[in-house]
Amino acid sequence: MNSQPNIPDADGFYAALVKAHGGLTDAQSAELNAGLVFLLANQCGDQSTLLACIDAARACLGELQS
Amino acid sequence: MNEPIRFAPPYQLPTYDFQPPADLGDGPRRRYPIVIVGAGPAGLTLACDLAQRGVASVLIDEDDTVGVRGASSRGICYAQKSLEILERMEVGDRAVAKGVAWSLGRTLSGDHEVYNFNLQAHSVSEQPPFVNLQQFYLEWFLVDRIQALGLTDLRWKSRVTGVEERDDCVVVQVETPAGSYALEARYLVDGTGVNSVIRTQLGVQTHASRSADRWCITDVRFAKPLPVERWTWVDAPFNEGRAVWQHLMPDDVWRIDYQMPEDADIETISKPEVAGARLRAQLGADVEFEFVWIGPYQYRDHLLDDFRHHRIFFVGDAAHVVSPFGARGGNTGMQDAANLGWKLALVAGGQAPETLLDSYSAERQPACAENLEVTSRSARFLAPATPAEHTLRRAALNLAREHAFARPLINTGRMSVANDYPVSAWLRQGARSVQNVPLVHADGTPTSVMKLLRAGTRCLGLWLHPDPDLAAQAAERLRGLPIDLYAIGDGCALPGLRDEAGVLARHLGAPPSGAAGSFFLVRPDAYLAASVSNATPDAIHSALQTTLGLVNESIGAPA
Repeated sequence: MNSQPNIPDADGFYAALVKAHGGLTDAQSAELNAGLVFLLANQCGDQSTLLACIDAARACLGELQS
Repeated sequence: MNEPIRFAPPYQLPTYDFQPPADLGDGPRRRYPIVIVGAGPAGLTLACDLAQRGVASVLIDEDDTVGVRGASSRGICYAQKSLEILERMEVGDRAVAKGVAWSLGRTLSGDHEVYNFNLQAHSVSEQPPFVNLQQFYLEWFLVDRIQALGLTDLRWKSRVTGVEERDDCVVVQVETPAGSYALEARYLVDGTGVNSVIRTQLGVQTHASRSADRWCITDVRFAKPLPVERWTWVDAPFNEGRAVWQHLMPDDVWRIDYQMPEDADIETISKPEVAGARLRAQLGADVEFEFVWIGPYQYRDHLLDDFRHHRIFFVGDAAHVVSPFGARGGNTGMQDAANLGWKLALVAGGQAPETLLDSYSAERQPACAENLEVTSRSARFLAPATPAEHTLRRAALNLAREHAFARPLINTGRMSVANDYPVSAWLRQGARSVQNVPLVHADGTPTSVMKLLRAGTRCLGLWLHPDPDLAAQAAERLRGLPIDLYAIGDGCALPGLRDEAGVLARHLGAPPSGAAGSFFLVRPDAYLAASVSNATPDAIHSALQTTLGLVNESIGAPA
């Protein structure tokens, strides 16, 4: 899993993501995110990287919950 | 407005007489080499497999007919490996002739197809990828074959009430209409199913769990023509957005299986008029039909840690139960039986050491653990447990309508396969199933892998274009051992087989060029136990010894 910056225009990507969620209900936003995960996972296509990303995302969740 | 609900007349199944065994009389307790309890698919396959090999067994069953009384297991899908096992036992043609062959599966979401598979694409077998056949027909054909072989002591209406383990046997208590008796089994096979009394009495841990997911099977005849394919809906519009299965069986009977709400009342959902309303919602208000059977169910799973308990072997549902998605129940039981049969035959005949029997659990337990994992994933996809899982599934389904990559995420069951076996003391390379590739004898007579495995209990040694001198030496070196050597190609003293299109060589994994001299050891259950390139008589002998568990015994043995 690559933890180093790899998105050429991080601010631009973030803005596009926020914009994509514009006007959606919570349920639609959740579905959008889920669809995005599947699409991105297929771009990656590496099983061990995908599993490491799931673990990493899950590990960061605890810190945000409080 | 609707017509009254009609039911088809019940099937007329064969019944078998209880014959009072000699064990009921006075005299010392009798001892039998192999006793099988439970005449379901696993027990019958084992008894038939043994009889085909010329080995006698006692088969005890509490019923006097085939099929299941009540609303329990009614399998319908038989996988290629199971059909090949039947073909080896000379029941294959009958099962395929009666059955409905299929290879194409389609999964729908709403009105859209979101996934399909064609199992024929990977098949080089004489048998179709799948045949649908009511379980009672399978059992019926097996009983007929067992009776024709004439080596099995079939004991109907006989119920095993308890077992007692001894060092050299298992004492089995049997209750019959003519009284009770005890017999001694050198080896006991428990094929009595999910609620095994034997397993319970021994206190064997099952790691059982039960799902809240609820379904209702409708076996029904109707005139409306539908494709002979496996159709599954993840979320059928005609079933309130829940899953539905649609499959054709012989005698024009469709199995339609509806997912129900988890809190559904069993009595209500299985009422004929309620089932009829579901069917009309699917097929149209004016469809004419007659029910064959309506059966609500919940599924459960369990898996034993070890399928062997001293002299007792667990096969089929007694050892493992999984959710029904993917037909990994009855097929797995039949494959348990085929794994155990040849080992019991060789050990009973003194041709392999008793330790070979340990390989049964070493191979089948991991296979069943894999089946449990695969089927549990399908069950989870079909019954999302949380709103988040519903969201993930909805996203995957929506993507699958537009994008090919998302289609493999849609999981309404991964069909039963012949599981690979892990590396072990008997399998230095692990093992995988060899399909029933059609072949031709040197004299032009057609044959096949299964036909070559029919007689006795012998491995198959398939040697690609062997050097004639090495072939002659190997034949001498292996004389008296349970193996038949064949040369693929002509030009040596071994019996020859033609594989002109190279289908068998490719299937066995021979390199496309330079395969001459490669040797493949196929076990009596049609698993590839060893591949040897540039084979020599010593290398072949050693591979066979390993496969049969003779390695330690042979070291230092006098020449």
